[in-house]
Amino acid sequence: MTNEMSNQTGAQGIDPALWRGMTQRRFSRRQALGATGAGLMALLLAGEGESAAATSAKLGSAGWWKDQKLHHVVNFANWPYYIDVLAGKHPSLEHLTATTGIKVNYYEVIQDNASFYQKIRPSLAAGQYTGYDIVVMTNNNPQLGYLIELGWLIPLDHSLMPNYEKFAGPLIKNPPWDPGNKYTMAWQSGWTAVGYNNKVVKDPGTSIDILFDKKYAGRVGMLSDPFELGSIGLLAVGVEPAKSTEADWAKAAKKLQQQKSDGIVAAYYDQSYIEHLKNGDISVSMCYSGDIFQADLNSKYKDLTLLLPSEGAMLWTDNMCIPKYSQNPLDAMTTMDYFYSPQTQSVVEYYNDYICPVPAARQELLHPTGWNKAALASLKPEIGLPTSYTADSLDVFPSPERIHQSRTYYNFTSQEEITAWTNLFLPIIQGA
Amino acid sequence: MSPTPRRRSRARGLAPYLLSLPAGVWLLLLFIVPLFIMLSITLKTCSPASGACVMTWQWGELPHVVNQYRAQFETSLVFAALATIIDLVISFPIAYWIAFYGGRRKNFFLIMLLVPFFVSFIIRTLVWEFILSDNGVVLTFLKGHHLVPSNFHVLGTGLAVVAGLAYNYLPFTALPLYVALERIDRRVLNAAYDLYANRRVAFTRVILPLTIPGIFAAFLLTFIPAFGDYVNQEILGGTANTMIGTVIQNLFLIDSDYAGGASLSAVLLAVSLLGIWLYAKLLGSRTIQDYL
Repeated sequence: MTNEMSNQTGAQGIDPALWRGMTQRRFSRRQALGATGAGLMALLLAGEGESAAATSAKLGSAGWWKDQKLHHVVNFANWPYYIDVLAGKHPSLEHLTATTGIKVNYYEVIQDNASFYQKIRPSLAAGQYTGYDIVVMTNNNPQLGYLIELGWLIPLDHSLMPNYEKFAGPLIKNPPWDPGNKYTMAWQSGWTAVGYNNKVVKDPGTSIDILFDKKYAGRVGMLSDPFELGSIGLLAVGVEPAKSTEADWAKAAKKLQQQKSDGIVAAYYDQSYIEHLKNGDISVSMCYSGDIFQADLNSKYKDLTLLLPSEGAMLWTDNMCIPKYSQNPLDAMTTMDYFYSPQTQSVVEYYNDYICPVPAARQELLHPTGWNKAALASLKPEIGLPTSYTADSLDVFPSPERIHQSRTYYNFTSQEEITAWTNLFLPIIQGA
Repeated sequence: MSPTPRRRSRARGLAPYLLSLPAGVWLLLLFIVPLFIMLSITLKTCSPASGACVMTWQWGELPHVVNQYRAQFETSLVFAALATIIDLVISFPIAYWIAFYGGRRKNFFLIMLLVPFFVSFIIRTLVWEFILSDNGVVLTFLKGHHLVPSNFHVLGTGLAVVAGLAYNYLPFTALPLYVALERIDRRVLNAAYDLYANRRVAFTRVILPLTIPGIFAAFLLTFIPAFGDYVNQEILGGTANTMIGTVIQNLFLIDSDYAGGASLSAVLLAVSLLGIWLYAKLLGSRTIQDYL
């Protein structure tokens, strides 16, 4: 299987024995990493009994990875509408099964980070398999940090990530929320920005102020995720979220409270905002970039336009990771790295149009070189647009300007900060 | 032969306890124990990350959240009361008609009343969202015929939430009312007519008083779940009418503030118990079991 994998990914035939050799050489460095990344962990674990550090030193080490075997099955938990679909099947996953024998049970079970975390946490706390070998968590919520800090993720084996090392884009490689990609590999990224109905909104301008414009009173949708809402509030008061202080948060909360008491906000939505934007209940909304793109693909909703405000747009990343007690970690590693093949990514991206973690996938969309040629061709009637449409989209392969407009989220350093943040922004969402 | 009667009488003495054992165990494991767990969480400090709770005896949490979310409690109270009153007004005539004029088709009419509620609660509410959306069938029609102003909308208002609650909890009102009306002895009614009562007097002096326990049971069965409901507000409501159920959900799921969520749940439970206590006090505890 390794030969087939490496043929289609470009990394020339690495012998499994060599992989093992590489992992063994890395052993000491890996252990050192495990010892340093403890910072916040101690803080969160204080007084809670279980010492995660003691067990995770062994877990995910080169020696541990060496003992893992392929089971030819992987249980993958992801968000809905996030992978290529053709006649109820996923061509990218089918190709993985065909070439490696790994059968992927793909579950679209993650609706939001907080509630999914609550679903898997009891298993993790009890030392049991969560039922998933890969879960996809976003960096804009505290849950990914919790998983890392509590030692509930299996450190990745970098020797099993040839595609990642070769093709991962600069936007998502070595990210601030997971230095050195110790635990995570990006699935897709996107912006939290502004979406509007260009039939109703004739002069959108370039500013985030459109969300606060009284002209659209009662027609503005905001997101009910306090971390998204707060970050947009910070941009609106002219503060970089990543460099903000608690005083800035209060200022942003005040601005958002005013927006609500002025009757501008129709409602605070979860993912359902897109339906309300489509059916005209709201004219302007905070939005996730890929949703607008996907809506536009459907000619019925051509009126939706994405606006990346001049103040900036929040760039988030959904991250694949392997929860502790995974029963098929080697299959998970193989699957995760498979999605860093430009050929695979071209198929995924043609369907879902978020920000692609693999810049080289653009060429594969324009000039497919392998199995993806047939896959892209078979997807085309479904999608109805040429692959060049995706390849040339600045929403998928962002221009330097768009990267420049991207902002990162505030990196919480303690639970107290998280609590302070939610105490400011949650009351806005659920105020009487 | 003497041991046999003694053994029999002992067995007879134990029988009520043995018979109530399954229900007792059920009540203990699935009500009393969780109740005390919930109450103990109100006094604990929990880690949002690991979910582990440590007893810190923080007595201040309950008054704190009650104070903080007073407005949402009031909204829930008003919405649930309105929905219950609407349900009583709508379902009384329906229940009355089925009980007195349903004849042999009574069961058929009851099923007709219940059929829509065989569909999942969430789906019914989502369909209302679809029907009432600004570009949905109803508003498009009304606006097209200039029956309402073009900026009129229903979704996101308190009215939508109350209407949703009233719709979703209607059977909880209609069925107890039906039971109360159905069990009225017709001879009592005939006696009233024999004593020169006209229809109005017979209704106000005979039927209504005999239905009071049913009305109260209907009120409780509708009001209590509506009071804690969060689905209708989430789907049909807007920004200005958050109900306490939504707050509890957010405290547990977004904020991971378990002590706060448990405190609000305890208050919600206390309000419900207060209602049941009032019922027992005013109408006697024996009549409760007839309707619950």
